[in-house]
Amino acid sequence: MMAERRLSSLGESPLEVEVGPRLLRVKMVLLGGSGVGKSSLALRFCKDEFKASTPTVGCAYLTQVVCLHDSTLRFEIWDTAGEEKYHSVTPLYYRGAHAALVVYDISKKESFMRAQLWLKELEKQYIPGETVVVLVGNKADLSDTRQVPLQVGYRLAESKGLLFIETSAKSGEQVSELLMTIAHRVKQSSSEVRGLIEWPEAECVGVLQGERSSLLGACCSVGS
Amino acid sequence: MSQKSERRGIHVDQSELLCKKGCGYYGNAAWQGLCSKCWREEYQRARQKQIQEDWALAEKLQREEEAAYASIQGAQSQPSLTPFSKFEEKKTNEKTRKVTTVKKFFSPSSRTAPKKESHEGKAPSPSITRQSSIETDRVSRDFVDFLKNLQKPGREIHKQCRAFIENMANKKDLGADELSECVQDFYQNMSDRLMTHFKGSTERVERVMDQVEKYIMTRLYKNVFCPETTDDEKKDLATQHRIRALHWVTIQMLCVPVDEEIPEVSDNVVKAITDVIEMDSKRVPRDKLACITRCSKHIFNAIKITKNEPASADDFLPTLIYIVLKANPPRLQSNIQYITRFCNPSRLMTGEDGYYFTNLCCAVAFIEKLDAQSLNLSAEDFERYMSGQASPRKQEPEVWPQEDAGAGRSPGLTQVYQSLDLLTGLGARQDRVLEGARSLESDLISWQESVEREVQEILEKYPLEIRTPASAIDSDNVENDRLPPPLQPQVFAG
Repeated sequence: MMAERRLSSLGESPLEVEVGPRLLRVKMVLLGGSGVGKSSLALRFCKDEFKASTPTVGCAYLTQVVCLHDSTLRFEIWDTAGEEKYHSVTPLYYRGAHAALVVYDISKKESFMRAQLWLKELEKQYIPGETVVVLVGNKADLSDTRQVPLQVGYRLAESKGLLFIETSAKSGEQVSELLMTIAHRVKQSSSEVRGLIEWPEAECVGVLQGERSSLLGACCSVGS
Repeated sequence: MSQKSERRGIHVDQSELLCKKGCGYYGNAAWQGLCSKCWREEYQRARQKQIQEDWALAEKLQREEEAAYASIQGAQSQPSLTPFSKFEEKKTNEKTRKVTTVKKFFSPSSRTAPKKESHEGKAPSPSITRQSSIETDRVSRDFVDFLKNLQKPGREIHKQCRAFIENMANKKDLGADELSECVQDFYQNMSDRLMTHFKGSTERVERVMDQVEKYIMTRLYKNVFCPETTDDEKKDLATQHRIRALHWVTIQMLCVPVDEEIPEVSDNVVKAITDVIEMDSKRVPRDKLACITRCSKHIFNAIKITKNEPASADDFLPTLIYIVLKANPPRLQSNIQYITRFCNPSRLMTGEDGYYFTNLCCAVAFIEKLDAQSLNLSAEDFERYMSGQASPRKQEPEVWPQEDAGAGRSPGLTQVYQSLDLLTGLGARQDRVLEGARSLESDLISWQESVEREVQEILEKYPLEIRTPASAIDSDNVENDRLPPPLQPQVFAG
C-alpha cells in the first residue's frame, strides 16, 4: 500500500503515460551510391532546410517524429556509406529495419544501376511486406540533365512491388510527402504483420518526456 | 511494537509520531517508526550485512569446491564421474593453447579459481583482483540503493537477480550462445514483469533494466567475457595481427576527410582513439556502447572541424575505420561478441548507440576483407606493403619523382637522413645543456665559496661575545620602589 503510493508519487503522473498516443519506433535505412544525396535527404527529413545552418555535428544518425492521427512514429534515420567498397558490409545496417530507401540520382544513369544492385541485395534479405522499401529518384531539380526517365524508375518499382517517388532534397520538393507515405505504410504493415510488434509502444515515455515541449513543433506540418 | 499501537491508535502521543532514533523528524509505521532518512540508513546497514553474509557463503562454497577439486587432482582416478571433470578438460585445453593465451596471464581472472568472485590469495595479481571486487561491491551497493527507491518490488528484483546469478554460476560450462540465451531470457522475463508492474511505462522499465543489466553483467563478466568455449580469443589475435599488418594505411588511402594538421582535429582524433581503447576496460555492455558512442562523437567533431559541414555516413565510416586501425583496440572481437550476446537487444538494433555499434561492426568487417582495391592501390603495391618490403609512409609526391629520376633517394632513405639531421641537432642541444650544467655547477661552487667568505668576514668583524644575562626584574632591581603598588582586590557591597 505504502509502496504503491510512493510509486505513483514518484516522477510523472500515470495519466501522461496512458493518454499519450501510441508511439512506434521506426528504423529507416538510406541506401544508394555516394553522391546521390542520401545525407541531404536525411537532413531534409529532419529539418526543413537543405544545408543545415544549425550546428549539427553529424547527419549520419538523425531522428524525426511524425504524428499520424492515432499514433506517433519516431523515425530513426540511419545513413549508410555509399561507396562501392563498403557494399559488402552494408547488410549489417539494414538488419531489423522497418523501412529502406534506395536512392538514386536522376541525372546519373550509373547511380540507377547501383540502385538496382541494392534492390537485389535487399530482396535476398527480406520477405516482401515486412520492410517498406521505397525507390527514390533524387535531385528532381536537375531534370534538365535527366538521364533516368521518370517512367523507367516507375516501371522498376512497379515490377518489384515497391513504392516510388522522385524528390529533390535541394528544393525540398516531395520530401515531406515521402516521409508521410512511409509513415503510413510502416504503420499499416505494423498492424498487419508482426513488423513493429517487437517494439510495442517502445520509447513512448522517453520521447514524451524528453521532447514533450518540442513535440508539436517537431511534427511534420503535412497533415495526415 | 509502536507499529501495533499506532495501527490501533485513536490516541497517539506526539512522541510516538517522532522518529525512534530521536532525530526530531516524524517517523512512519511503515519504516518501523523511523523517519525516511534513518530508515534508509538502517535498511542499508541490514543490506550490507546481508551482502557480506552472501560473500562469506560464496567464499566458503568456493573453498569447498577447491578442496574437492584438489582431491580429484591428487587422485586423478575417475574424473568423468565428478562434476569437475570439465575443469580438468579446460586445464588440458589451456595447456595445448598456451601459445595463444599469453594475454590471459595479464587478465585478472585466474584459471585456477573460476568462481565468479573472490580469488583472494589465488589470483596472480591481487591488486587487480581487489580492485575488481571493490568495483563489484560498489555496483552492488549502487544497485541496492537504486532498488530501495522502489520499495517492495525492488526487493523482489534483487532477489531474482541474485537467484539468477547463482543459477548462472552453475551453468559455467554452457556454450556462449546458450549463456547469451539465458541472459536474454532473463532480460525478457524481467522487463515483461516490470511492464505489468509499471503499467506500461517503458521509460521506467528501461531505467530499471539498465540497472539490472549493470548489476548482473558486472558479476557475470568474468565468466562470460571471451569464454573458453568460443574461439573469440583466436579471432581477437587474428584481428590484432591484421591491424598491425595494416599499419602503413594512410588517411589518403582511405579517403578520410580529416586533417590532422589542425590541432583541434588531432585532439579529437586522439580522444576518439582513447575512447575506443577504453571500451575494453568496461564490464557492462551499455558502458562499452557508451565508449563507442563517445568515440563516434569525437570523430564527428573532427570531420566537422575539417570540412566545416556536418559529417555524413560517407565521411564517418572511413574515419571510424582509420581510428580502429590507429587504435588497434584490445580484444576487439571479444568485446563485439560480448556486447552482441549480453546487451539488451533493443539497444543494438535501434537507437543512436545501436547505430554507432553497427558502424563499428562494419569497420571491423571491412578491415578483415580489406584489399588493394578498397585502398585504391595496385595488387602488387598492396602485397609489398603487407609483406613489409616497402612502406608508403612518406609518399609525398615530391619524393617519388626524385626516385624515378634516379636521384637515389627512396622515402626510407630520406627519412633516415631526416632522422640523422634530427639526431645531430639533438646532439648539439645536449652539448649545450651539458655546458650549461657545467657552468651552473661552477657558479654554484663559487657562490657557496663567496657566501662562506662573507660569513667569515662578518664573523670576524663582529666577534661573538657572550654577555651575562640581564638580572631578573624582581630580585635586585634598584628602581623597584618607584613602581606604583600592585592593585589590591576590593570588595564592593551587593
